[in-house]
Amino acid sequence: MSAQAPEEVAERAREAAGAAHALATVTRERSLALRFARSRPTQATSVDDLTVELAVVTDGHVGRAATNDIGPEALRRCAGAAVLAAETAARAAGAGVYPGFPEPGALRARHGHDPETARLAPERGGEALSAAFEVAAETATEANGLWTAGEVETAIATPSGPVLVDRVTDAFLKVVAFGPGGRSGYAARTAVGLRDIDSRAAAARAAGKAAAGALEPVVLGPGEYNVVMEPHAVHELLWVLGLSAFNGLAHAEGRGALDGRLHTRVVSPAINLSDSPRHPSTLPRAFDSEAVAKAPLPLIEDGVAHRVVHDVRSGAIAAASSTGHAGAAGGAPSGPVPVNLVMAGGGAADEQELCAGVEHGIYVTRLWYTNVVRPAEALFTAVTRDGTFLIEDGRVTRPVADMRVTDSALGVLSRVRALGARSVLTSDGELYGRRFASGSVCPPLRADAVRFTGSAASG
Amino acid sequence: MRELLQDLVDSASGRASYADARHVRTLVEEVALRNGELDLLDRREEEGIGVRVRVKGAWGFAAVRGSGRADGEDAVARALALAEAQPGAGGEPALAPEPPARGSHASPCETDPFEVSLDDKLALLAEADAAMRSEPLVSVAQAQLLSRCQEKTFASSEGALCEQRVTECGGGLEAVAVGVSGTQVRSYPGSHSGHVAQAGWEHVLALDLVGHAPRVAAEAAALLSAPVCPSDRTTLVLAKEQLGLQIHESVGHALELDRVLGGEASYAGTSFVPADGIGSTRLGSELMSVTADATLPGALGSFRWDDEGVQARCVALVRDGTLRGFLSSRESAAEVGLERSGGCMRAEGFARQPIVRMTNVSLDAGTAGTLEELIAATRRGIYMETNRSWSIDSRRLHFQFAGEAAWEIVDGRLGRMLRDPVYAGTTPRFWGGLDAVCSPSEWGLVSVTNCGKGEPGQLASVSHGSAPARFRDVLVGSG
Repeated sequence: MSAQAPEEVAERAREAAGAAHALATVTRERSLALRFARSRPTQATSVDDLTVELAVVTDGHVGRAATNDIGPEALRRCAGAAVLAAETAARAAGAGVYPGFPEPGALRARHGHDPETARLAPERGGEALSAAFEVAAETATEANGLWTAGEVETAIATPSGPVLVDRVTDAFLKVVAFGPGGRSGYAARTAVGLRDIDSRAAAARAAGKAAAGALEPVVLGPGEYNVVMEPHAVHELLWVLGLSAFNGLAHAEGRGALDGRLHTRVVSPAINLSDSPRHPSTLPRAFDSEAVAKAPLPLIEDGVAHRVVHDVRSGAIAAASSTGHAGAAGGAPSGPVPVNLVMAGGGAADEQELCAGVEHGIYVTRLWYTNVVRPAEALFTAVTRDGTFLIEDGRVTRPVADMRVTDSALGVLSRVRALGARSVLTSDGELYGRRFASGSVCPPLRADAVRFTGSAASG
Repeated sequence: MRELLQDLVDSASGRASYADARHVRTLVEEVALRNGELDLLDRREEEGIGVRVRVKGAWGFAAVRGSGRADGEDAVARALALAEAQPGAGGEPALAPEPPARGSHASPCETDPFEVSLDDKLALLAEADAAMRSEPLVSVAQAQLLSRCQEKTFASSEGALCEQRVTECGGGLEAVAVGVSGTQVRSYPGSHSGHVAQAGWEHVLALDLVGHAPRVAAEAAALLSAPVCPSDRTTLVLAKEQLGLQIHESVGHALELDRVLGGEASYAGTSFVPADGIGSTRLGSELMSVTADATLPGALGSFRWDDEGVQARCVALVRDGTLRGFLSSRESAAEVGLERSGGCMRAEGFARQPIVRMTNVSLDAGTAGTLEELIAATRRGIYMETNRSWSIDSRRLHFQFAGEAAWEIVDGRLGRMLRDPVYAGTTPRFWGGLDAVCSPSEWGLVSVTNCGKGEPGQLASVSHGSAPARFRDVLVGSG
């Protein structure tokens, strides 16, 4: 029901702020999400929303206000709230560090929008669910999961005049298959467009893992194990690094895991990691929440950490420039994080070849409920889920009861022995708040001596 | 609005066996200072209509911003199209019966937090922030406030028509000290947003953030030179803020009936608790009695009606260590043969559909006296405060929690402060080790404002009541 183009609304919102140094951001989301469980549809959500956010800078402080009403009175009220917030902060706290919104950079052409996906036809979701249910019936498993697609249009009216526009689509499918014995298998796919989401293939892969879990799972005790991790699990390691190591605000405050370690070897020389918003496999973005153009940024090269990411605020604290990683105008309280991480692959053909080098170890499909325990060490804890297997003499032999991993993400990556050749876009499909789909492009890997600290089965 | 919502559900009724519509208007204000600088000053308003329909057993939900008739009609059309596009659900199980919700309700609020000036809010935060930064080892001081007001109107095709207004308010402090041994954090009155309640500005004043700021900073600094929490199987005494999160993660989520029935298997997970376990499944010791109470004054999980029009209830979940009930919806309750829904369907704003969420899940108080008396009655062990990190498996069995600070207990007294404390365990064994809960005088609420569930994701706020409690034979260490 939002007939007005986001760029027009953004200009009107900026005008409502009058002479203030204001950035107006309009985000329109149209999305569908179809959930299923036990091979039946369970919940289906269609969202059509548009949010106007105004950020105003006064004496180094940023005040923000937002509304989803685009009427003139609502925009005036929103602008008034943002101006009042900034002025009050300036009165209360004196001059702040925020230097003002930067001039927008030149944007590059991208490939982040698929018109067919943007149609958001409910039938496409219904077909995906039907395909997953058919595979489940054929394999005597139950299909659980999510199919979702969305289009997000973002327009930012900058203080100096230009209005930047980004239109992106995203599509995501995951299938968690449960076999008769209760073991589960997982497969997921993330893409810009629905044409790259093969529901049948994902369901079949998940079902294959569930069926492989028909044997009684082995219960392993705590200890260090060599592992093969699928990209879904590697993605979690990169998420931990994003929060604790590459976060420019944490780094500037001396809390980051790369504090005192930049320009030194922090992980295996096999690791090359960048934030690459134009990589052909990622979900591309043109600019960040402060209208700073996105650009490729090498973070780790041959195991050596080179830089962290910044928004305008963390850059001001660190005497550095924004790298285009603001999660909110004025900076998110949690600090800037990379959202287009790309990890280069290696020479192993696939997970099977990675397993070939493991005499006794654990195959990890994905990690769940990952949380950072000690950020300065990038120490995290998580639990394996939906496909954990024993590797014996170079091949997967039987299921393992899910285990808790508590280790440093930098430590795991420092013990990498091999990487798969194929990196894939991986996401967990979590879409809280305003839709912002993101994922990392990463390969499977083999690492030594990963620390497992317990399991439900072993107590 | 009431008439519009009724018209919308009426218009859906020709094609849907059930329909409901909610109009929700939300106003949120967040204010935070960080090292004397403005960290966040954000005011957000949103308004919209969410329509939910059921067609041949398949649900469709559509949300649209605004409050106009055309907006609502668009949402009805999209919800119906979505429900009809899905493969058959294999029949349409009944919903547990519920009398239509009628009337209006407002949560208690003495002083509207939105009427308090920003100047006053920032002055309070600045004073607390400055007090924390007077400790030289504190590198980052944060002080924050949250105010939220939500108004809802709900109508259903079964004749429900009700209105609710809820006001929430709260805040907290965090001091981060950085030294050669790493980074240490202390928070007050709890981590992860402090303490938020269904109340007005009077709740913030009662927290006395300024008065607690020097202690918070001093403890963060002291942790830098504290010894690491030793690894051992030992007795653990939990303060109520960490105990609240333990209840939340290992009891509350485990007893959500949608998880138990497999409906959340692909995201939030399932549960180790069987659907037919009422009356027979042991979850803990005789001292473990837990309720889910949506009528608790001041608590974030309280309301008059849930988001499918079920009147608020107090449901016994665990009595004397045995499973007695679940957190449920009309659909999930009917599936396991419960006579009524537990009234736990809640949605975040207008753009999300209601799903089974916790109301206020709380541990009954015991008879162990005050915290001081409980520690005096403990020969050896660890006392732990304030959550720092949390993780639990997808069946809610194996967990690991880290606290901000711990103290050793030696011969009934608190000894040295310990840094980086962590404990881990499995749910029934851990709760089976519960052997003392402090008395009602120590019982109080803590808040969780970031409970994530659902796809697309939803955040819910809930409170948990408890008194400090003692657990035997727990694996404790430093991660």
